[in-house]
Amino acid sequence: MSEKRKKDIQRIKELESINLATDDIRDLVVQTKMKVAKDNEQLARQNNEELKEHNIKSVDIVGAIGAGKTALIEKIVEILSEKYRILVICGDITTRVDADRIQAHNAESIQINTGRECALNAYHIHKIIENKDLDDYDLLFIENVGNLICPSEFTLGTDTRITVVSTTEGEWVIEKHPMLFKMSQVAVINKIDLAERLGTNVQKMLKDAKEINPNIKVITTSAKTGKNIDKLIDILEL
Amino acid sequence: MRMKELLKQLEQLLNEKDLDLLKIQELKTEILKNHIKGLKIENYIGDYPTFMEPVILGDSVKIGDDVLIGPKVYIGTDSVIEDYAEISNSIIFDNVKIGKNFKLDSCIIINNSKLNFDNFSSKNCILKGIAESEEELEIIRER
Repeated sequence: MSEKRKKDIQRIKELESINLATDDIRDLVVQTKMKVAKDNEQLARQNNEELKEHNIKSVDIVGAIGAGKTALIEKIVEILSEKYRILVICGDITTRVDADRIQAHNAESIQINTGRECALNAYHIHKIIENKDLDDYDLLFIENVGNLICPSEFTLGTDTRITVVSTTEGEWVIEKHPMLFKMSQVAVINKIDLAERLGTNVQKMLKDAKEINPNIKVITTSAKTGKNIDKLIDILEL
Repeated sequence: MRMKELLKQLEQLLNEKDLDLLKIQELKTEILKNHIKGLKIENYIGDYPTFMEPVILGDSVKIGDDVLIGPKVYIGTDSVIEDYAEISNSIIFDNVKIGKNFKLDSCIIINNSKLNFDNFSSKNCILKGIAESEEELEIIRER
């Protein structure tokens, strides 16, 4: 690799946005960004093929901080841990809090601390699965880093993506974040037990999800009371 | 505790004049597969790198920006990992320094090695020495 090429690559790695690229390297930055997106897609497909080869069903769960992603996984794992050998990959900026919570329910959990990155990508999942004996598992859950924006840039290679919102986020949350609902197969409106007290218009949330993605399956749940967790499991065909 | 003993054994094997590469490889695999567990990263110095567990860091490891560490990585005390490094399945002993944009998979770096150059990628290797360029570096390829 030439010194110039090495310097260009170094510079691209430093850039957060193409708007920050100076004119002389703008084309290279744009091309590189496009290639990175393509590479992620390709790697995601490869992840999915590998999981399928080992008969592993896979689900990734995205949603804002505090929407109840971990609590939902805890409830699901509690019910399914006798039926399936479950691996859960937890993405967080820092800490092992979620992985510890899930591990308490008889599922193996792996924590990824993404540091400054606001979402997991297909490469993270690739690195985990290439280092695991996939014959040891039947079901994989991936809990993405908590936010409703960045995960829309990266597919991971799972069979199903669930986007979770909660009634505490207000009835506009789905309308304001269409990208993830467009690319998800299931939408979960969690903390339904609080909807009445908060006066959240759940009907609007249900309508918004269907308007954004007519094919999406929408369900209301309460990870706290366990309401509709069985129905969510049915939707996931688990 | 057992991990520390095994690391010491590995260090001894690496210090022998004629390296028993098979034994080294076996011991490395044993440590990474069965003794590196969870995330022990409390005392590093740096700005939020990406860690994919299992990862164990010794005290005062310095880590640069945009670094990806794990899965299955041990880094010893006082080692320095510069920006854009990607390290997986590897054991880096104490007081090692690596430059920017190193990509290492399944490697060992012997203690006190100083790799004072940037942009290097390698797999299945043992690295040692004080080197200002890739050419000066002692690279032992594992089988």
